[in-house]
Amino acid sequence: MSDTTSEGGHQEDKADRGRNSVAARAMGWFDSRLGLSHQMLRPAPQYSINPFYWLGALATVAFVIQGVTGGIMMLYYVPSPTQAYASTLYIFQNVSYGTFLQTIHLYTAYAMIMLAFMHMMRGYFVSVHKKPRELMWITGMVMGFITLGFGFTGYLLPWTIVSKSATDVGIGMMGALPQPLASFLTFLIVGSGSDAGELLRFFDLHVVVLPAVLLVLLVVKMYMLEAHGVSEPTTGTESLPPKKRRLIPIFPDVSFYLVELAALFGSAVIIISVIFPLTLPPEYSASLAGQSVSQPDWYFLWVYQILKISAFEEAGLSVALSVVTLVFIVLIFLPFIDRGKTRSIRRRMVYVTLGAIFVAEVAVLALWGYLTPGIAIPNETAGLVLGGTALLVTLGSVFAYKAVFGGLRGLAKKTEHGGAPVAQTPSLVAPRAVSSRSAALWTAGIFICLLVAGAFFIGNSIDGVIALRLGTAAALQSFAVSLAGLSLTVIGTMFMLYRLDLGTGSIRRRVRAFELGWRE
Amino acid sequence: MNAEKSVSDRNTIVTERMALRIVSLLLLVAAISVFVLWSVNPVGSGSESTFALYLAVDLVSVGMVSYVQRAVAREGRISRAPLAAGSFFILFLVVAGLYLLS
Repeated sequence: MSDTTSEGGHQEDKADRGRNSVAARAMGWFDSRLGLSHQMLRPAPQYSINPFYWLGALATVAFVIQGVTGGIMMLYYVPSPTQAYASTLYIFQNVSYGTFLQTIHLYTAYAMIMLAFMHMMRGYFVSVHKKPRELMWITGMVMGFITLGFGFTGYLLPWTIVSKSATDVGIGMMGALPQPLASFLTFLIVGSGSDAGELLRFFDLHVVVLPAVLLVLLVVKMYMLEAHGVSEPTTGTESLPPKKRRLIPIFPDVSFYLVELAALFGSAVIIISVIFPLTLPPEYSASLAGQSVSQPDWYFLWVYQILKISAFEEAGLSVALSVVTLVFIVLIFLPFIDRGKTRSIRRRMVYVTLGAIFVAEVAVLALWGYLTPGIAIPNETAGLVLGGTALLVTLGSVFAYKAVFGGLRGLAKKTEHGGAPVAQTPSLVAPRAVSSRSAALWTAGIFICLLVAGAFFIGNSIDGVIALRLGTAAALQSFAVSLAGLSLTVIGTMFMLYRLDLGTGSIRRRVRAFELGWRE
Repeated sequence: MNAEKSVSDRNTIVTERMALRIVSLLLLVAAISVFVLWSVNPVGSGSESTFALYLAVDLVSVGMVSYVQRAVAREGRISRAPLAAGSFFILFLVVAGLYLLS
């Protein structure tokens, strides 16, 4: 009996070996032809397992979601002025999960623009535009403009009163651009000037031209990423523990991490779309167009607000557009402007401050534009708000640098020498035994929050003054709330400075230390 | 040293068998939510939100399975915090979906 069992077992083993051998040979055949076991993509360092390293990948996920949802909507949408609105309404009312589909399409578009902006600003602050990634930066910038182009062209397609009016304003502004460019852009997106031609061109650009160009650029950028790898931390890799420096394969480690991020991102967009479902504004008609205030979507509000400044209206429009164009040109050619070799945030105070000013100005202008639709901005108010924001950010940046890199210098030197604290200037007392990095990050984070709140409340206070002068209802209440918010921000800033002071000694000694710091 | 070890053990799950159980449970949750997705009446007015919430349950489950797989393969242990956060998130979505269904 046992012999029979043993014999049967031997036969099974032989059969298994045979199968394994066949399977192994088959896998080997495919592997040798397709290179399955060969890691085609270069491994990534462990420190790149961080969401900030994959903002561009998340923007790509948003692009893919838009491709899928947009592809489904294309089955129903008709790009004609007489049927565009009706077909969009049909998707809302008759197609299964049509509202959800439209909402997801719109919100992932918003997310894509926001993620692309965050990806760009993160790259700016950590200097990824420097050698050897200059062309990656330029490619990314062009991809960013195409992303904005998606927003601009897609906004018109539902043919609502809001979308058509705002797009007409945008097209009208193109006439103020320098002549060859203005004619080219007008021909490209408007054509003969008829509504039908305009809508068809916008549709073609939105679903064919821009996705194709973006895909090609994505491949080019991925190729360059493969050549240069993930950028190193600004402090270099030497200071990192070996565990963080080790290389991990793209598959499965990085791929699974991206699946996690994409799942989180997708679920967040879905939940937001459930809480704030999209509603379709009324259809466009020439008679209704004169009654509504034209306002672009949020990502163009900052440009819209610049154009509303009195000095830039009418004859000054070309000047305003030149200013905006200059900002874009500077961003594109940044690698050839910021040519310093250092990538350390600590040693790039001017560029970091300029970047922070840019972010704050864009945020303030967008919010301001949202709060004051169709209201022209007097020159003095614009100067006060924009100048005030820049001043506030600059002061905040200086204080943050002093707090993060200046006030904790003692600890840094102690770490560098690996022993007792190095003697400082006479007035500086020995630093506290706290986690310097964590404290510095928290301090910087709170200061940035205070700065954003301060800029917001300054803008709102000025807006409140304008509303008071115009006699708008509830203006006094809004003004009082803004002033209260501003006061709280100032008190918060003073408290933070006081807390920083507690770490090193009495206020007088701290002021003395700051004075010495300035002299240095 | 011992105190550190015990804290570390309290915050992480080490065994592969436990990881397998977690993954099985998550896959079961994902399968049930897929079943709900197919069962929801697509033309009902309130069904879109239910559909969306259960789709989110699926996505979070897949994300957590991916996390467990990555953490076990690379670190040999799973941190409890992301699992707890993800589980509460799924629970919240399921309850919200059931509320909408009712």
